[in-house]
Parts: sequence; structure tokens; C-alpha cells
Amino acid sequence: MPHIRVSEKLPGIRSLFAFRPETATPMSELAEVLLHQPGTLSPGERELIATYVSSQNDCYYCQTAHGAIAAHHLGGNEELVLDVKRDFEHAAVSDKLKALLAIAGKVQRGGKNVQPEDVERARREGATDLEIHDTVLIAAAFCMFNRYVDGLATWTPTDLEGFRERAAKVARDGYLGVLGYIEETRAAGHAT
Amino acid sequence: MDAMFLPEVEGNPQPGPTADLIRIAQSAGAEYPKIWHLFAYRPEATAHLGAFTHEIMRGDGPVSASLSPGLRELIAAFTSSANECPF
Repeated sequence: MPHIRVSEKLPGIRSLFAFRPETATPMSELAEVLLHQPGTLSPGERELIATYVSSQNDCYYCQTAHGAIAAHHLGGNEELVLDVKRDFEHAAVSDKLKALLAIAGKVQRGGKNVQPEDVERARREGATDLEIHDTVLIAAAFCMFNRYVDGLATWTPTDLEGFRERAAKVARDGYLGVLGYIEETRAAGHAT
Repeated sequence: MDAMFLPEVEGNPQPGPTADLIRIAQSAGAEYPKIWHLFAYRPEATAHLGAFTHEIMRGDGPVSASLSPGLRELIAAFTSSANECPF
């Protein structure tokens, strides 16, 4: 049960977004810039970074939601998402993404863990400064999202089919759709 | 000050208020927090991070009556200290 009184109809971070729309807006916009807007890393790769960090933080909601979005971007390859979570160094992803995942994993354990060698490895595999920058910011932002979701003990559905359906919608439309929904429920007086 | 890991980030401030701040500090020979280079490098993300920080730290939301900006900064300072981030 959630630690505070949030909507029982909404799972995970969405219940918190409805509870506090003022902070939901910039958080969703940040997710949109980092994960969905066009970039040199594909949306699937960026979602894999978010999923990996969330799994290292043991955040069930975030790793399942973003894992489903990653899989959707990757042609439905859920096995690859599991491989990345278990042992990305031996998963079927590019050497560049492995180097970026290694940096993301260090950020998850604490920013100061990132060493010059980690950055050099990523550069050697062809990562640009912008890609390294965004990897660190995705990892840092997901540490925030993960702790936000679990720190308030939000409700997490376990029905994977529901995650898949939602993932298809987010993969297509991005992260700003939730804001319109929150505005509607607020106007209708459902949100507390 | 030590160089950052990513020279392209440090060397490419995009036009905007943070880039102006960096220029002013550099021309005055003053020390400044290097997080400014992160803010200046990716203004699209910075705008949302700034809006988020403003709302959570200074916003007039439901929390403003009970949690003063001073208390909110204390929470941020305590967390940063636990994370060993002196800045």
C-alpha cells in the first residue's frame, strides 16, 4: 500500500504524477527529451539504459515499464532486455552500448564511481560527448524516478500484458500524453 | 579547477543565460560551479530540470505552507551531504 493517499486507479509514478501535477510536468518533459526525442542513440538503446539502472535499483515498476518500452522499440525482443539486465557485457548489444551501460551502472552506485577509463572506453567504442552526457543524465534521472516510486511505495501491477499495451502507446506517443490525462482527471475532481 | 571528463561539454556552451554567466565568471577570473557547463550544454533538458527544481524548492504548491523554502533546502543539503557531494 502506498505510504500516502494517492489514486488507487493509477500505478507507479503515474499515481504520483496525478498527486502532484506541478512536478509531474517538468519530470515528464525531461523523460521526453532524454528518451523519446530524436537522438543519435536510438530510443531502444536509451530505454535499455533506463531499464538497466532501474533494475540495479531494484525498482520493479520502472524496470518493467521501461523494459516493455525498450522491447517494443527492439521489435518485441523481451529476451534481449532480460539479457541486458542480467549481464549486459554478454548481451547482443553493440560494444558502444555496453560501454555506456557500464557508465550508467557506475552512476547508479554513485556518481564518483565513474573513472576516466570508463569514459575513455566509451569514446574508443565511438560514443560522442553528447551520448556520454545523456547516458549519465538518464542514469541520474532514473535514480530519482526509482527512489520517488519506491520511496512512496506506489502500487505496481504484475500483469505484463498491461505493461506491453502501455509500452506500445508510450513508444509511439512519448511521455507527454500522461499530462493531458492528469489534467482531465484533475478537472473532473478525481485526483486528490 | 580540474578539467571535466567531457571537453566537448565544457567547450560548447549553447547560447542562453547560463552561457552568459560562464562568460562573465571567466572574464572576471572568478571560480564558478562546473554544473553550469552541464546546464549550458543541453538547454532543452536544463529548462525542465530548472522548472522541476523551482517547483519542488520554491513552488507555491500545497507544501509551501508547511515546508518553508529553508526547510526544503535543508532536506536537499542533508541528502547532498549523505551523497558526499560538497557542492
